[in-house]
Amino acid sequence: MVMANEIISVKDLVTYFFTEAGVVKAVDGVSFAIDEGESVGLVGESGSGKTVTALTMMGIVQRPGKIVSGEIFYRGQNILKMSEDEARKIRGKKIGMVFQDPNSSLDPLYTVGNQLTEVVRVHSKISKKEAYQKALSLLELVKISEPEARLRAYPFELSGGMKQRVATARALAGEPEVLIADEPTTNLDVTIQAQVLELLKDLRKELGMTLILITHDMGIIAEMTTKIVVLYAGRVAEIASTKDLYRTPRHPYTAALLRAVPRVDVRKQLVPIAGNIPNLINPPTGCRYHPRCPYSTQDCVDQIPPLETIEGNRQVSCHHWKDLADKKELVIA
Amino acid sequence: MVIVSFFVFLAIFGPSIAPYPPRDPVCFYLGCTALPPFQSLAHPLGTEPAGYDIYSEILQSARNDLYVGLGATLISLGIGVAVGALAGYRKGISAALFLGVTQIFFVLPALVIILLFARIFVTLVAKGLGLTMIMLILGAFGWPGIAFVVRGEVIRIRELEFVQAERAIGAGNQRILFRHIVPNILSPIIVYATLTIAANILTEVVISFLGFGDPNTATWGLLIQEGFVYPNYWWIDVFPGLAVIFSVLGFNILGDGLSDALNPRLRE
Repeated sequence: MVMANEIISVKDLVTYFFTEAGVVKAVDGVSFAIDEGESVGLVGESGSGKTVTALTMMGIVQRPGKIVSGEIFYRGQNILKMSEDEARKIRGKKIGMVFQDPNSSLDPLYTVGNQLTEVVRVHSKISKKEAYQKALSLLELVKISEPEARLRAYPFELSGGMKQRVATARALAGEPEVLIADEPTTNLDVTIQAQVLELLKDLRKELGMTLILITHDMGIIAEMTTKIVVLYAGRVAEIASTKDLYRTPRHPYTAALLRAVPRVDVRKQLVPIAGNIPNLINPPTGCRYHPRCPYSTQDCVDQIPPLETIEGNRQVSCHHWKDLADKKELVIA
Repeated sequence: MVIVSFFVFLAIFGPSIAPYPPRDPVCFYLGCTALPPFQSLAHPLGTEPAGYDIYSEILQSARNDLYVGLGATLISLGIGVAVGALAGYRKGISAALFLGVTQIFFVLPALVIILLFARIFVTLVAKGLGLTMIMLILGAFGWPGIAFVVRGEVIRIRELEFVQAERAIGAGNQRILFRHIVPNILSPIIVYATLTIAANILTEVVISFLGFGDPNTATWGLLIQEGFVYPNYWWIDVFPGLAVIFSVLGFNILGDGLSDALNPRLRE
């Protein structure tokens, strides 16, 4: 059943946060599969479960969060069924992760060199000298100037962009097959953003890595990915190839997201999405998007729409996708 | 800093500088007992009725006092950091358990228990192990404060992104806690430890003064206690008392200075 080139897949992932205010249903039945070498975007508004999905995939959700159910397959092995020791061998080694804020994702007390060699030494017994060489080559890989001097630098001596490069190098140190980048550019200047994205693109090409890019920036997604998973309030709204998604969104939420993005080539009013992302302690019944959806009907209130495979290669979770597609309601521009 | 260095210097070299061996009633034989201070070059700070030379005894005591103060603090530090770190890092029942134990130890009247122990193990005291025992007991009961400080700081650091990043590279809990979290909270620990040394020296003085210490080992508390019996011979009390005041003051100033120096927000 598992396809030969499928590298990672999640099935019915449910991660809740058990807080004093109530159970926050941050991720509630998310499924998708990623093929080897793909570049997949995970998009959605703040609070739609993007980061929690990523942490869940790494198996590092912290209390009060808990992975309630679901399966995560890495090359056919269920990560969630593994012992902590086995799972740790996959973290960093097979799946690397770059975090949002480079200013706080590096330990301020250790030099760049120390932090890079640590990753290597956690996973394999190699000599200090080899680890040093490895760290040096990693810095060259992420195109940091004067890598030898930087190895001795502490995080506070580096600029934001450089820190994010170091964090990326760190995620790459175990030579992972999958790299999860969680909004790697949100805390960076626009010019630096472009550099970091360029870097990720190059690395993917050079190393043949699978990239999972988490962002709410639809522009970045279009640029960087081949496939997109749209999350809304802890559920998958739509999964499609980047081309299809931009050209013919099938979920009203995807269409609304795209309409909220400025475009240079089309002179058009931006349309914000009315309302807010729902409270995930008491999410709406049925389709979670129904309170904000202009096309919602009683069905949407009563029943959870299944994630259907449509048109052969894409999936959507909407009761009315067929009507909307026929009427060309969701076409952008 | 200067005071503490001087104190440490005394602790190391005091016994060699001191003109007489510890607990040596020189004047008992020479007939110079109960000599007031500043009257004899041989006994600049006077002597006790029992014949001890006070200047010499103060010097001899410095090492013992530092031994208790520092030793007890190191023990407290070991227990306090371990318990506090676990109480802060763990979540759920085990964290509550660690915190609960800390709180129990915190409310125990440590001094009373110490005195009790000193009585129970009076045989050990007689064997000259009294000082070590006092140190061990002080250490075993002095850690809750450190544990609270550590716990609070660990909770603060625990949620930072680099800790999550450590997990993401496959680092284990032990590594995260002791290689990354604890080093990041060293400065409050050091400051607190310095203040604990001062507190421990004071407590030792109290214990000895109350007569629960080791009568065969010179400490400042013991000297003060010996002087207490003779209200007319003020010098027996005053000079060791000054030694206590200055050393405790020294450690407190050091702790204050360290907390300023290690706190980047106050540096500007």
